[in-house]
Amino acid sequence: MTASYESTAKDRVFDIVIGTGLFAADWSNCDRISSYVANLVSQRRTDSLRYANLFSSVLNELLEIAFRCHHAPGEIACTVYRGGPGDSIELSVPCDAATRTFYESAVAEACRADVAEHFVKTMLDEHRFDPQIGLMALAADYQAKVALDVSSSDRVTIIVDFVLDELAR
Amino acid sequence: MSFTVRFDANNQEIVLAGAIRPHSGDELIEVRRTLDHALDAVSGALYLNAKRLVQLNNAGFHEVVTFVRRACRQKPDLRIVVITSSYVGWQERKFSLLRQLGPNVVVEQYDKAFYPGQSVLEDSRFIPVLRTQTKLTWRHERKILPRHGLQPGMTVADVCCGIGDFAVLLYKEFQPARLLAIDHAPQSLAYARRVATDFGIDAIEYVQGDAASLLIDDNQFDFVTCRHSVQVFDRPELILKELYRVCKPGGRVYITNEKNSHCLGEPRAESIQWTYNEVARLWAYFKGDIEFGPKSRRYLCDAGFDDVRMESFMVTNLDGDPQDFADVVAAWEGFFAGQMAVQRGDSAEFIARFRQGFQDHIFAALHPKGYAGWPIWAASARKPR
Repeated sequence: MTASYESTAKDRVFDIVIGTGLFAADWSNCDRISSYVANLVSQRRTDSLRYANLFSSVLNELLEIAFRCHHAPGEIACTVYRGGPGDSIELSVPCDAATRTFYESAVAEACRADVAEHFVKTMLDEHRFDPQIGLMALAADYQAKVALDVSSSDRVTIIVDFVLDELAR
Repeated sequence: MSFTVRFDANNQEIVLAGAIRPHSGDELIEVRRTLDHALDAVSGALYLNAKRLVQLNNAGFHEVVTFVRRACRQKPDLRIVVITSSYVGWQERKFSLLRQLGPNVVVEQYDKAFYPGQSVLEDSRFIPVLRTQTKLTWRHERKILPRHGLQPGMTVADVCCGIGDFAVLLYKEFQPARLLAIDHAPQSLAYARRVATDFGIDAIEYVQGDAASLLIDDNQFDFVTCRHSVQVFDRPELILKELYRVCKPGGRVYITNEKNSHCLGEPRAESIQWTYNEVARLWAYFKGDIEFGPKSRRYLCDAGFDDVRMESFMVTNLDGDPQDFADVVAAWEGFFAGQMAVQRGDSAEFIARFRQGFQDHIFAALHPKGYAGWPIWAASARKPR
């Protein structure tokens, strides 16, 4: 695993690259990485603790999706950008055809005009936990804009833009 | 992933705390048992207390959904009250979904007053008084703090920072490597941030939080301060437990508290003494312990600390301008006699006598040969390595 932290350069504040084998060996990696990154990127926010708590929630959902669905071997790469009050996370995952289809479907669900209602309906279904729900939750709960970059043949990149400052005040 | 799920049968309350981020619901078998046991045991109302739940992923929330739905089905008359925290930003939106599971599901944001007179103390008109109080105590504490282990370059948290003036003074005097100042009142924090900006200080992190449930990882700070606050909470041990948790092993927690019945003055000592004895009784009525100061050592020991250091100091009318002391006492009169005693339902005769003691304290403070004092106990202790 490699990580780097830059204070201001081009608004890119954090990169982390981790082998899929290491990452997928332990579910608690999602919690550990999201908590660690959240504490780092939340400095100098109006309320750094509340911001870190929310940021950790967002990043954890993304990492959990990557944990549940990726194609091994390869590396999972996560980059955090900051621009004014907003943040952006790009999560790049190695994929095969099935993985790509999963993410295309998950992002399409998160981009539905009725995503808030759809999220509630999906979440309140007691019979089935939908692994795609993480992206829907980001769109519905955090008003995040979710997009997918499929320009690489063997990777997909989920791009999530969100503003947490108001929620963290 | 570290969390606890506990059922309190007396209160019919399930308390969720920590971070619940399972891969699937199957990892929460023990939790399911606890929830099912609670459901069997309760009638009338079931409280699901999430105030101290810091994180909950969607898989964990799905478990909660499944449980609440089952509860609605098995006991249709049961009222399910979900209590959320206003400090954890994601909770309100997420838990509000549960309302859709049944008409008896209620989601309430925990926002009760933490201590008696909270609204008064957080009233912006009270701010000058709080600033004067800090000005008076700082004369002593800037010399006391190093004796309790505070040194430049430490990581410091000021819990219950109020309007943040102590944090500013501490920052200027001791140049901590990090200074996190926490309070539950957004209006106090807004004021604190404005003052820090006006003073050109951008290194203090002012954050909102509940002193009994801080959004801070364990073992973070070399020095943790909590001034004049443990005494106003009805469960001081909960605050001390949190201070202990966030303090690094080998670090120290520093608290100051009063014993109001020991406020004194000459002349008119008798009247002053009577009134401050009544102040102590008044706070006790509202579940605060304004006599806490000398109990600090015992509470710190009981919380698991060692190497307790303790001293007392007397803020007096001779600490600078006597009018400052008089202004503080006048504000106390307005707060204790004008609001708390009225709220308790005291008679006009009692309140008149009660007020007189404050007036006599002011008289003593401003008298050319008078003396007026306000005693404070400073205590600190080490978290064992």
